[in-house]
Amino acid sequence: MKYNTMRFLKVSLALVVLLCVVVFTFLAYYMNYQSSATISEIGTIYMAGLNERISMHFETTIDYNLNQIESIVQNYPPRSADYGTLAENMGSNALERGFVSLALYAEDGAFEMLCGEQIQVTDPEPFFRSMQSQEKKVAVGTDETDDSIVLLGVPAAYEMADGRESLALVVALPTDYFKQILALDSDESNSLVYSHVIRKDGTFVIQSSDAYRGNYFDRLRALYQGENLEEAEKHITDLYEAMQKNEPYSVVYHLPGERRHLYCTSLPNSEWYLVTAMPYGQLDEVVSSMGNTWTSLVLGGCALILIVLGSIFVYYFRLTRQQMVELDNARKTAEKSLTMAVDARRDAEKAQQVAEHANKAKSEFLSNMSHDIRTPMNAIVGMTAIATANIENRQQVQHCLKKISLSSQHLLGLINDVLDMSKIESGKMTLNIDQVSLREVMDSIVSIVQPQVKAKHQNFNVCIYDISSENVCCDSVRLNQVLLNFLSNAIKFTPEGGTIQITLRETESPKGAEYVRILLQVKDTGMGMSEEFKEKIFDSFTREDNTRIHRTEGTGLGMAITKYIVDAMGGTIQVESQQGVGTEFNVTLDFEKAEVAEVDMVLPPWNMLVVDDDQQLCESTASALQSIGIKADWVLSGEEAVEMVVKKHQRREDYQVILLDWKLPGMDGISTAKAIHARMESDIPILLISAYDWGEIEDEARQAGITGFISKPLFKSTLFYGLKKFADGKEEGEPKEESPHHAIDFNGKHVLLAEDNELNWEIAEELLTDLGLQLDHAENGQICVEMLQNSQPGHYSAVLMDIRMPVMTGYEAAVAIRKLDHPDANLPIIAMTADAFSEDIKHCLDCGMNAHVAKPIDVREVARLLEKYMEN
Amino acid sequence: MTLQELYTEIGGDYSEVRGRLPSDKFIQKFVLKFLDDKSYDLLISSLEQGNSEEAFRAAHTIKGMCQNLGFNTLLASSAELTEALRSGLTPEAGPLCERVKEDYGRTVTAIRSFQEGMST
Repeated sequence: MKYNTMRFLKVSLALVVLLCVVVFTFLAYYMNYQSSATISEIGTIYMAGLNERISMHFETTIDYNLNQIESIVQNYPPRSADYGTLAENMGSNALERGFVSLALYAEDGAFEMLCGEQIQVTDPEPFFRSMQSQEKKVAVGTDETDDSIVLLGVPAAYEMADGRESLALVVALPTDYFKQILALDSDESNSLVYSHVIRKDGTFVIQSSDAYRGNYFDRLRALYQGENLEEAEKHITDLYEAMQKNEPYSVVYHLPGERRHLYCTSLPNSEWYLVTAMPYGQLDEVVSSMGNTWTSLVLGGCALILIVLGSIFVYYFRLTRQQMVELDNARKTAEKSLTMAVDARRDAEKAQQVAEHANKAKSEFLSNMSHDIRTPMNAIVGMTAIATANIENRQQVQHCLKKISLSSQHLLGLINDVLDMSKIESGKMTLNIDQVSLREVMDSIVSIVQPQVKAKHQNFNVCIYDISSENVCCDSVRLNQVLLNFLSNAIKFTPEGGTIQITLRETESPKGAEYVRILLQVKDTGMGMSEEFKEKIFDSFTREDNTRIHRTEGTGLGMAITKYIVDAMGGTIQVESQQGVGTEFNVTLDFEKAEVAEVDMVLPPWNMLVVDDDQQLCESTASALQSIGIKADWVLSGEEAVEMVVKKHQRREDYQVILLDWKLPGMDGISTAKAIHARMESDIPILLISAYDWGEIEDEARQAGITGFISKPLFKSTLFYGLKKFADGKEEGEPKEESPHHAIDFNGKHVLLAEDNELNWEIAEELLTDLGLQLDHAENGQICVEMLQNSQPGHYSAVLMDIRMPVMTGYEAAVAIRKLDHPDANLPIIAMTADAFSEDIKHCLDCGMNAHVAKPIDVREVARLLEKYMEN
Repeated sequence: MTLQELYTEIGGDYSEVRGRLPSDKFIQKFVLKFLDDKSYDLLISSLEQGNSEEAFRAAHTIKGMCQNLGFNTLLASSAELTEALRSGLTPEAGPLCERVKEDYGRTVTAIRSFQEGMST
């Protein structure tokens, strides 16, 4: 395409140039021809005019001279005087008039001279005839010296000397006279034109100076210098014929080296012809210089046009090239877009494949699920049938029921997961953000997994490092779910004797000072995962397709749900795993710090020793202790601990409390405690720290002299509350020292407590009465509402509301109270419930309650809330 | 039998309860009152009648009492039962109820023997 255009351009340029040259050459040639033709024409016209002028001049001259003669005749008429006088007078008169000679022409052709030299006619015959016929005549003759003269004859009958009458009066004039008159012998050498007067036979009558031949025809022949004689003869013949016919003759003849124009006309009153010749030499020069000018102008024009054309071509060429480049770019762009389009299509195809894959995974999952659901379902149906058949056999029925219950649990787990997943997939899962105590979350998680860990004889460890903000804002239910999922997976896939560790760490959050970043790690020494499975562990509907897993129950949705929750919380999950070695999940979550005014946790400035084999835990615990006013040392083993205690004792800087890990390498916690007691007289309180259930080891521990137990995880508050009782005085019932804190005097304030359970009511009553409150008991929501309605305005300061009650629940009661037409309808209502899930709390608040406390009743918390809301 | 021994026996966290409630006497009083509570009977009868709502409330109450008294073992099983009954009868409820029965039995037996120990 590009080359075609270029070729077209080049060819067309060449063609145009060629055409230009041809046209202009033709023009130049044609104009030259035309101009020379025109010149010839002009020459002819000019020559004709010139000849006419010359001949007219000749005629006038002749006429003049004839008139002169006639005047002589008139002045001296014949017989006016005698011959002698007359001849003398006439002779002198003629001389006066410029004639050379005057003679009387006799009838016999002889001249009788009246004056001047004797003359003779060169060709007497025609002259004589003309005289005889009384015509005027001009002829050429000679004088005595044989010089050429011109004779003019006028008929006149004069008496001659011999008495006869003359035929005519003849005068002679010098030839030069004519030459001058006719300008035939111009002195101007550059004169273009020269003329001759010739007779029919070509002989000269009057010839210009340079004509040396006697005959004009010879002269012509000579002029051709022997070349092109045919043309010369032709011209001569033509000229002769024209003279015979008395017609004017005009011709251009080409002599070697020049061109000449010849023009011939007859002269009146004579047998003569005027031949005028004009050489073209100079004219040719003028014309050719004009032609040259013309040619150069044409060539210049041609060149100009070519230059303009060339420029246009070059410009166009460049333009085209530019367009080509642009076109090329456009093409490239187009190609690029095409590539992009192709890529996009490929992406789309990929996406489609992914979608298809997901779809396939879903259907596979469905078929797996159907199978998974059918298996326990079959068990339930089958076992039910067996139980029915053996209804009398108690043992058999019990066995069947146990199987049925197990299968049902399994089935329920599957269904719950699927429901959760469908909630996620339809985007209906939302987070209920509330204030959450990480300590409570961890405590509850630990207490839930403890039995399972125990059953599988696994080692379980909880490590809390540097947690400064125990209270954060998050969805506790979902956080629980995440932790439980990790831990239950870890327990499920870790063989007996394996180790499971959960670690909680706090760092600064990139989201700002109001946030903390919690790093959660769950690590096990379980079977691990294959690389391929690790890639898609968080995909929905996947489960490692492996026979050993098939023995393990579950939907395979747990991790997907977990991932979704963590994503929703704005966190990340990383997984590291090696088959046969173990798995490690790292979760990073950013939580907003809760705005709770943390209890001012200060303990006496004790010296304490922390013993644990985990150095980080030691450091973290020591710094946590420091923050509540305790000076803490730490060591990593039982042996070192004993050494330290002894050393300190010797320096009389005894430790007030020792925190001792139960599981230590080498000397374990119990042996260490024993060793310390053996070395020391005084009883230093030793507290055991462990993630295990205290109940199992309490007896042994007590015997070893261990005073108490603090359950891991070791949050600051865990440490504070665990150690506080030692600060309050050893053992026996120290009264609570809450009252001094109260900004409000609870004395005499009436509080309505709705609680259906007698025991719970009594506990609450007893605890709260201690604060000085007067409690009234409502057995259910209905009674509570009625009591409030019937009360004096301002009688009750607040309502403490249980949620789960017969007749009317706490939720309904709260709504009803808010709708009451009673001045106290807006009094503070504080929910008390065993359900600490965020959804329940939200429900409480939605029903118009002010706050929520979890059971078991913590007097401090209740007092704090009452204080807060009663103040307003 | 001391209170502490009782708590160890029934799987409770004595130190926690001790930290929360004012005195041993206080604890002892309510531990003994636990024997008189009718929630357990209500739970069993409701389950027999298939009244899941009432059963849920009863289980919930037991859970609440256990929280107050720090009976952790019974708390765990009753809490699970509560959840199983929250949205009606579920297949889990049966076996969980068995666990509650077992735990409740153990708790009550232990408290009784504690009571006997006091009276002697």
